[in-house]
Amino acid sequence: MTLLGEIALWVALPVALWGTVLSFVGGRQDRGDLVLSGERAVHAVFALLLVVSAGIIAAFLGDRFEYWYVASYSNRDLDTYYKISGLWAGQRGSLVFWALLLSLFSSITVFGNRFKNREFMPYVTGTLLAISSFFLIVLLFANVNPFERLDFLPADGQGLNPQLQNYWMTIHPPTLYLGFTAFTVPFAFAISALLTGRLDARWLVLTRRWILLSWFFLTNGIVFGMRWAYEELGWGGYWFWDPVENASLLPWLTATAFLHSIQIQENRGMLKVWNMGLVTLTFLLTVFATFLTRSGLIESVHTFAQELTIAVIFLTFMGLLTIICTVLIVWRWPLLKTENQIQSFVSRESAFLFNNLIFLGAAFTVLWGTLLPLITEGLMGEKIAVGPPFFNRVNIPIGLALLALMGIGPVIAWRRASTRNLRKNFLFPMLFGIGVFAAFAVAGSRQWMALTTFGLSAFVLAIVFVEFWKGTRARARIEGEGAARAFYHLVARNRRRWGGYIVHVGVVMIFTAFAGEAFDDEITQTVNPGDQILISSPFGHDYTLEYQGVSTTLRTGNMAWQAMAFLTVSKNGRPVGTMTSEKRMYFTWEAPVTEVGILSSPLEDLYVIFEDAEDLAGAVQNEAGSQQVTLEVQVNPLVGWIWYGGLIMTIGSLIAIWPSRGSIPATSVAHVEPEPAAAAV
Amino acid sequence: MTEHPTTAPAPKKGGGGRFFVGLVGVTLVVTYLIWTGVTETMVYYLTPTELMARVQEDPTFREMGVKVSGQLVKGSWQRIGPNHHRFEITDLEDPQSVVTIEYADGLPDTFNDQADVEVVAEGRLRDDGVFEATLVLTKCGSRYEAAPEDLAG
Repeated sequence: MTLLGEIALWVALPVALWGTVLSFVGGRQDRGDLVLSGERAVHAVFALLLVVSAGIIAAFLGDRFEYWYVASYSNRDLDTYYKISGLWAGQRGSLVFWALLLSLFSSITVFGNRFKNREFMPYVTGTLLAISSFFLIVLLFANVNPFERLDFLPADGQGLNPQLQNYWMTIHPPTLYLGFTAFTVPFAFAISALLTGRLDARWLVLTRRWILLSWFFLTNGIVFGMRWAYEELGWGGYWFWDPVENASLLPWLTATAFLHSIQIQENRGMLKVWNMGLVTLTFLLTVFATFLTRSGLIESVHTFAQELTIAVIFLTFMGLLTIICTVLIVWRWPLLKTENQIQSFVSRESAFLFNNLIFLGAAFTVLWGTLLPLITEGLMGEKIAVGPPFFNRVNIPIGLALLALMGIGPVIAWRRASTRNLRKNFLFPMLFGIGVFAAFAVAGSRQWMALTTFGLSAFVLAIVFVEFWKGTRARARIEGEGAARAFYHLVARNRRRWGGYIVHVGVVMIFTAFAGEAFDDEITQTVNPGDQILISSPFGHDYTLEYQGVSTTLRTGNMAWQAMAFLTVSKNGRPVGTMTSEKRMYFTWEAPVTEVGILSSPLEDLYVIFEDAEDLAGAVQNEAGSQQVTLEVQVNPLVGWIWYGGLIMTIGSLIAIWPSRGSIPATSVAHVEPEPAAAAV
Repeated sequence: MTEHPTTAPAPKKGGGGRFFVGLVGVTLVVTYLIWTGVTETMVYYLTPTELMARVQEDPTFREMGVKVSGQLVKGSWQRIGPNHHRFEITDLEDPQSVVTIEYADGLPDTFNDQADVEVVAEGRLRDDGVFEATLVLTKCGSRYEAAPEDLAG
């Protein structure tokens, strides 16, 4: 099976290349037979990549340690579940997995459009196959072949880092990759639109769902990664502005901007060049992220010669794409002329424009901060770095501006908002937001950034609530429906709009959780059995954690030992439960691994980290004199709201993505909308 | 997606201007944020050799916050108190250049002085020549990846 996979990898490249040529030539000369062959090549590449992937998984399951990749990420005792996820555990497998997902989406696109949108398809197929070819070239010629053999046969593999043996870590990379690859489809349509000259909003309408799907996966992938970091990395945070994290955030930022700006093009025929630029930029950033997440480029340029080959190939590819797209956009400039102008800064167009500019600004700051060591080394010969303080400082005002726009954008009138429109839509939500801000300030809080976040969040929530309420009431009155039924029909009739609002509610929750971080409290204490650690919550209660000692189990599962620091917890003197934080020694890993203890409630998490033991060896032997340990205890207010907010964003985007049953006549939607200005979403 | 707003006779002049006003405005604000952010939070990212050279050249450089990165010296880690650690790192290119680091917080799980580990420490050099770290991170070549070549031994 594995050998078959290796052969399939070699066959896939010429098939993909040949298909690329056939599609472009077929499109150019209007030759249906060539186009059809190109489309068959898409399905063939998908089938071949399935075989390649199956070959890698078979090698993992069969403990074939003669393969470098298997020896690096697996061992005999590894759970089958983690052996299968070995396909995307490292750089080499990840590249195969990326190519597999891309070919899957390519196949779906080609199949779904076999009878329609034929004018776009030759170049769409060609572009998709060209990108597949690129990844196959990387796999075969950049020292990252997953089937590379070692010149000896190890008795066992290295094993998978225990920190990666976590549920969230198995689903985080594939989810992100689904997001990255799904974005290739809108990109391919954009290229096709440029080549064919069909530059109205058609290509956007065709790929809208793909854009949403990609965004949906990117969002989930990022949230899963945050969850993993919070549970597994053991410092109580979920985001560290690490280059790898930043790399996945960048395409999310530009994709979010794109998701909003296409609405301006669809409704007002504006921002056409801008959208072409954004789709190209987002695609380039997904490629950049794929490359960066599995390589050590930023961290250690000089140490890894083999990384250099792949870096050069990737950067060449990205440079080439940039040039091609720029040339195409310039060539089609006359067809990309805007149909309308911004008439006033107080208008929906303007709100969306600022939303876009600010998202792009955020992406630029993140990119700049991430690449700063490389830039300064290149320009000045010495590395200068920035860390979380920089990113937080710069992105908090940017985030607050976006939060405000999230309230304004959906309800402000197109073209030029009247004073009446402003008063009608914003008076109550603004007063509500100011009220929330004032209430916290009166209660004595002086965390101004956090209070501003709470105030703006209240403003956005009020706007969304009023929209839902007005819409439901109007529908109930006109159609004579009950409130629940009217609400259901309201959402069902314009899912993209209402799903979007639900996503906004999720975003508000996540922003609130970020602001909650301002009220974190932590204490590090070295304790002996019977000692107490006291910590208070910003919600006004106190926790007492009493350390009971370390309890060790030897030889359990795949662990040599598992040492648990055991604590009893009481809240305002009333017992609420027990917590443990552990040091674990896996058979296949040379150093102990920390497992944090988390006691979650809807408003806050109590978080315990087993930092250090004076005499760990003695503690592992359960010796009475070796029980002194250092523990860090944190109260993390509102952190759970990130996961709840993520869930709400998922629900909202699913509502927006879900295919509609037939098209809805425009009038049936328009007449239930509360206000003509708001109806034209 | 309902109706398109009826296209009002758009004033041909001034509208495109607004786009550029917005663009320039946001660009200026973002540039300002980045500039102040970088100048106020940046740290030099140095190798042990570079750090020693800078301090030799200008003793006040000790006051600067720096990040120093190098190879963890095998067997150099020792505990000097509860949750208080001391270890040494060397320059990747010059093993003679050694920096002693002290750190009073939890070390990351990937910190292991029996293996090849690259360490990044943020903090400042004390007058006694010991680097007092406020943050210690480890970096593994490709994150969390081990080299199977080690299995050959």
